[in-house]
Amino acid sequence: MKMPVYWGCVIPTMQYAYEMSVREVMPRLGVELVDLDNASCCGTPVQSVNMVAAVYLAARNIAIAEKMGFTDLLAVCNGCHLSLFEAAYFLSHDEKLREQVNSMLKEEDLQYSGNVKIWHTIDFLHDQIGEDTIRKAVAQPLNGFKLAVHYGCHILRPSSIGTVDDPEDPQKLDRLIEWLGAKSIPYPEKLDCCGAMLMLSHPDAAFTFTGLKLKAVQELGVDALIDSCPSCQNMFDMRQKSAAATTGAKLNMPVIYYTQLLGLAMSIPQEKLGLNLNRSPIDEFLQKALVH
Amino acid sequence: MNSSMTITDQMTSKKPDAELKSRVLSKIGEHKPYSCYQCIKCTSGCPSMKMLELKPHEIVALAKAGFIDELVGSGIIWTCATCLKCKERCPQAVAPVDLILALRNLAIEKEAKVPESYLHDLSMILECGHVSRPQPTITRKLEKIERDKLDLPKFRESDERFKAAFMKILEKAQSGGA
Repeated sequence: MKMPVYWGCVIPTMQYAYEMSVREVMPRLGVELVDLDNASCCGTPVQSVNMVAAVYLAARNIAIAEKMGFTDLLAVCNGCHLSLFEAAYFLSHDEKLREQVNSMLKEEDLQYSGNVKIWHTIDFLHDQIGEDTIRKAVAQPLNGFKLAVHYGCHILRPSSIGTVDDPEDPQKLDRLIEWLGAKSIPYPEKLDCCGAMLMLSHPDAAFTFTGLKLKAVQELGVDALIDSCPSCQNMFDMRQKSAAATTGAKLNMPVIYYTQLLGLAMSIPQEKLGLNLNRSPIDEFLQKALVH
Repeated sequence: MNSSMTITDQMTSKKPDAELKSRVLSKIGEHKPYSCYQCIKCTSGCPSMKMLELKPHEIVALAKAGFIDELVGSGIIWTCATCLKCKERCPQAVAPVDLILALRNLAIEKEAKVPESYLHDLSMILECGHVSRPQPTITRKLEKIERDKLDLPKFRESDERFKAAFMKILEKAQSGGA
């Protein structure tokens, strides 16, 4: 199966481990990834500036997939997924906006017609690849691992436009983990926001969001926190020390992308999954995974 | 709409602005704040309430009363983390977050106090199509690594044609066209 993939900004300029692990696991599951030609920002940071310009940016990337002859598009970042998904919703419900955006797209000979289905890593793996294929791909089951999951806000809400999973009780990422042999531990703070979007205006508050959630996860006694959003990973993993300093908590929580975890279970070498790039203390976790 | 004209801000003696109010509300649906019955479900689930005292139900009430200038200049509209819980949980489909984003759009248009990072992102998109160019990263062993040292395809900036098209759109938006 050929699948166009939209990487957005944060993944290809900062969160390389996500890109590496997605590029490693997908072909092994029968998915040939195709990068979009001349992609640009998804529009999320522009929503605060001008909503029409933001919808234009989202529609532009969908229109590129359309021009390349695709009817599906994998948006692996949560923020990008919402931006594209929401723009598609607006454009299918607002004829005037669609005309306005299409006249903007004409400058580049692009057209948005609304025939592209937007996927995120989680629903693509869960709904499209499915349990059988994923279970069969596991070479090294993660039996005995206890994990906590973080979905990230932007693939769950608002459910009024139809989203990746249930907005109040999501289960797909939990199941994806269980298909690898590990156990997902439920916890009350599961839906709490990582704070990333406040980094632009209130970094201390953002780090407090991050630190409080990590503290709650750490108290569960799980082996790692599993996520699937580059902005959330940036907060929980890369910025864990700042979150600890801001909240005054002693944090040493391993944080790993789901696609990295999947890659480990598929026996893909660690360096190919970018596991040297995680900044949180994951070495003990990796040793335990390799002993299995 | 005239009913709001009787209200006066007790602190500043200012009257609400009906014209601005209708401009903001037109972007999210004129009727929306009128559906709000102040149940405060939005505020009770708002993570920025705990940290930064954002009260989405108050934003809705103030917009309904027409105190748009006050909201746009207050700084409180930049405390929203856009977690979207208010939009998900509102029993009346008011979506305070959409109102907050519309107020931010107006703040930018009026050149009110806007956190610089938002404008930085915008200038980067005009420069290379993305909010950033590839940044060096640091491994767990504290070694610096560039993207092109990793087993990844070359990062591609958006082309000039896109940048020109986007510039045109922003200029039109700034002059009130979008």
